[in-house]
Amino acid sequence: MRAVYRVAKATYHEGWRRRFLNGILVFAILIIGSSWVFTYLQPGAELKMLIDVGLGSIRFFGMLIAVFLGVRLIPDEIEKRTIYTLLSKPVSRGQFLAGKFFGGLATVISNVALMGITFYVVFAIKAPQFAIPTEEGAPQYSMEFMYANVAKAILMSFLELAVVMGLAVVASVVFSWILAAIFTFFVYFVGQMSEFFGHLADPETGASPAARVILGTIYRIMPHFEIFDVREPILTDVPIVWGYMGRTFGMALIYIGIVLALGYLFFNRREV
Amino acid sequence: MSHTTKVVITWILLIGMVAGMQPLSETLNTERLIRGYARPTQVTKILQYDAPAMTGVIVGAMLGGFREVAASMLWMRTQSLWYEGRGTYWDALYLMRMTTLLDPHWLEPWRMTAWHCAYNLYVEAEGDPEAQARMLELGTDVLREGISWNPDRYDLYFELGWTYFDRIRDYDEAARWLGAAVQFEHPEYIERLIAHGYERLPDIPKALEWYDYCLKRRPSDETAKGATITIRERYLPAWRMMEEGRYDEAIAHLDRYLTIEPTSTIGLHVKAHIYEEAGDLVRAREQWRLAAETMALNHHARYKVAELSSKLGLPVPEHPSYIYGERRRQRMEIERPIPDS
Repeated sequence: MRAVYRVAKATYHEGWRRRFLNGILVFAILIIGSSWVFTYLQPGAELKMLIDVGLGSIRFFGMLIAVFLGVRLIPDEIEKRTIYTLLSKPVSRGQFLAGKFFGGLATVISNVALMGITFYVVFAIKAPQFAIPTEEGAPQYSMEFMYANVAKAILMSFLELAVVMGLAVVASVVFSWILAAIFTFFVYFVGQMSEFFGHLADPETGASPAARVILGTIYRIMPHFEIFDVREPILTDVPIVWGYMGRTFGMALIYIGIVLALGYLFFNRREV
Repeated sequence: MSHTTKVVITWILLIGMVAGMQPLSETLNTERLIRGYARPTQVTKILQYDAPAMTGVIVGAMLGGFREVAASMLWMRTQSLWYEGRGTYWDALYLMRMTTLLDPHWLEPWRMTAWHCAYNLYVEAEGDPEAQARMLELGTDVLREGISWNPDRYDLYFELGWTYFDRIRDYDEAARWLGAAVQFEHPEYIERLIAHGYERLPDIPKALEWYDYCLKRRPSDETAKGATITIRERYLPAWRMMEEGRYDEAIAHLDRYLTIEPTSTIGLHVKAHIYEEAGDLVRAREQWRLAAETMALNHHARYKVAELSSKLGLPVPEHPSYIYGERRRQRMEIERPIPDS
């Protein structure tokens, strides 16, 4: 465990030293900080727009950070040949991989936490102004309810980004970092649409048997990233229950377990 | 632990996790539907596998959190097309459709897309009743899909009810959807509109029930007060006579008012209805035809003429509302589950 912790700690510090990631973070904070500006696009639905732009930015920029950080962690060590020093010490390949993943994850979490805090500040200032009061004058729903739902949505983003991070790290073990980034983006976008593929694989849609087999396979093997997307209940004032969050957490652990196990198997076969 | 043992354990763990993933994934998908975290609406419902629906899903997934912003941008583009005089082109419809897919909780695009189909493109298809019926179908389907995304607000129920009331003139369906709209916080005129619909259907007792409801809620409602007096004085006695089977007396009673006001839509409709109840379909058809000729936009009367012509074995005039109604009836029959024997 100590070896994993040390690799993770070094990765975390190294992650913060990457300038382009800092650039993405600064840009993300600027966008989130000014998310209320976009609300003019939908008069009457300002709160909805604020939540969507804010949470959407956290997910989008968090994903960019997770992918571009994840795909560079191991290839950089190989390129600089520092991996030989590390692996010659009593650090196994499994520990190295786990350390890289957890270090990268810590960087992503701290980045997302900063974005989340920024959004919370904007939300706390602007949301009460945008809340539509009922005929009796009271807001349609309590702000505490909204704050809780937004916090839960940010937590769900953490889980999603942890899976993306795992995918990016493992992809970089197999492919070059550019290919790994493309692969991770592809899986992320297809994973966002997995329910749609599931629907298309339904015999009632009239798709050919061959197409149904392909679409059904995609539906089964791709991570279902839409389970982490809870903007729908936030926008429709439906509470996000802890039970659902717990099950999603379990699912995220399984996804991470699968990608790390695959990564371990690939990394063991790779000549370094 | 040897390297081989580690690899074998990893494989066992991997297989175990993949096996455990499927049931949990299915549970989560079902839970999302039950709790309302995801809508069961199929995005391809309006036009099966149409390009905007597919592109909407893909672009929506790629944009992630910026779907609302993209929807707003597309909407602005639609507006500029409109002001350039290209608002009735299919391009505009695709843009509108894409906007509804990107931001299904934004009501304006649903409303406008439906209006574009049922009104603007309907007029563009003038002279082709089949195409016009298709436009009506698109318009009402758009609103139905919009309702499935926004079931807790009165707006789209009202829009659908209004499309049936004003464009298709199917007052029965109009009353059904407007009745759904008043289950939520709504403007008061919707209640009166339901009563107006029943007047024109005609179903005089139900119209009175709704006017009474309006008066109970707002005793100062002058429109409802006036309509109640008119209905009770002119049409209710004839309606009661019809219910008692005194058809000739009912017609005679109505004729007194129709002599003074021969173009009264409600009067003509009630008279046609009485003939129908009496089983005199030829005269009923004649009355509906008269009502249709009296008012250019009386699609309800035209629908009835087509319906009765079909029943009488006469040539059925091609009318968009009738074609639409027949198509919907066939669709409902297909969609209705087969009862257990």
